[in-house]
Amino acid sequence: MTLFFFLLIAIVTVISAILVIVLRNPIHSALSLVLTFFSIAGLYILLNAQFIAAIQVIVYAGAIMVLFLFVIMLLNLEKEKRVSEKHPLQKAFGVSIALFLLGGIGSIVATGVLYGNMGTETAAKVSAVGNTKAIAGLLFTDWVLPFEITSILLIAAIVGAIVLTKKEL
Amino acid sequence: MIPLSYYLVLSAILFTIGVVGVLVRRNAIMIFMAIELMLNAVNLSFVAIGKHLDSLDGQVFVFFVMAVAAAEVAVGLAIIVNLSRNKETINVDEINIMKW
Amino acid sequence: MPSDYFPVFVFLLIAVGFPVMIIALSSIVGPRKPSPEKLMPYECGVDPIGSARKRLSVKFYIVAMLFVVFDIEAIFLYPWAVIFKDLGVFGVVEMGLFIVILFVGLIYAWKKGVLEWE
Repeated sequence: MTLFFFLLIAIVTVISAILVIVLRNPIHSALSLVLTFFSIAGLYILLNAQFIAAIQVIVYAGAIMVLFLFVIMLLNLEKEKRVSEKHPLQKAFGVSIALFLLGGIGSIVATGVLYGNMGTETAAKVSAVGNTKAIAGLLFTDWVLPFEITSILLIAAIVGAIVLTKKEL
Repeated sequence: MIPLSYYLVLSAILFTIGVVGVLVRRNAIMIFMAIELMLNAVNLSFVAIGKHLDSLDGQVFVFFVMAVAAAEVAVGLAIIVNLSRNKETINVDEINIMKW
Repeated sequence: MPSDYFPVFVFLLIAVGFPVMIIALSSIVGPRKPSPEKLMPYECGVDPIGSARKRLSVKFYIVAMLFVVFDIEAIFLYPWAVIFKDLGVFGVVEMGLFIVILFVGLIYAWKKGVLEWE
């Protein structure tokens, strides 16, 4: 049953991700990217990561895609014209390099050389305290320094975006 | 129970689609969307491996990746807005003033 | 458990399936006799001039950007609120530092006049 849902969501994810890079109208590809983000949230639920699934919908599908759609409307992008290619072989090269990369990653997964040390948070232990609380316990104790640095990253983003877009400072 | 390799293969496929998008599309906003796709593929493999190893560190890391993605989108789209104001195009083939 | 989310899946199925069915039905069953009068956005009143798609002001972008950044702040507040009692004073200090640093960003945006619309 879980496998059926996994395959269903995986097919939706891959198809909508392909649509993102194939569709010529940027608004259509942005909407198809929203569908991709939603189905990845579905995969997170299958992985027992409910809180990550929620923030995936809130941040990616809610906030980041709004920003993308705003900019697409701001620039008033029409359908991409089929301009004469400056580099005719670019597409073929791009696709073949990407397929080579896929083959590389796939062979690593297939040979099964990935391994790591087992952690202590088993599924039963996590579900006893709740997913959100278990993550919070790690985030605000072991990962407190990255957490504080995130705020500096965000303030840099605020300042950078304002300086870049505001005409008269 | 789904094996870890299924998730890793799916994540590799999504990452490859993102790479194809970056290499093939010439519109700067489309390149950005493809980069978001790649970040999501990596997030997916973080969570899958974290579950496989009985560890929550992968899920905590997804938080930071999301914060980085948001900051990147805020600044990157500001650059694109500025670009279209100054050059009237966001086709990356035509943006070559730093190349000689 | 993922199985707890089965109702959400059913909900999504209905939420997507119903509009698709209605739109498909209305386009199959309904008669279609378009005329220039009918295809206008408003049948009476002033005729529309120009394209509906205009360039938006860049102010909208800055406000949306601020929304994204403070949305990230909000997703860090959710798990903090869950564990707030266990962390004690340490939790108040670390989240206070985080919020103060981001508040400086808000003050910067305020001083630069981003929040004024005029």
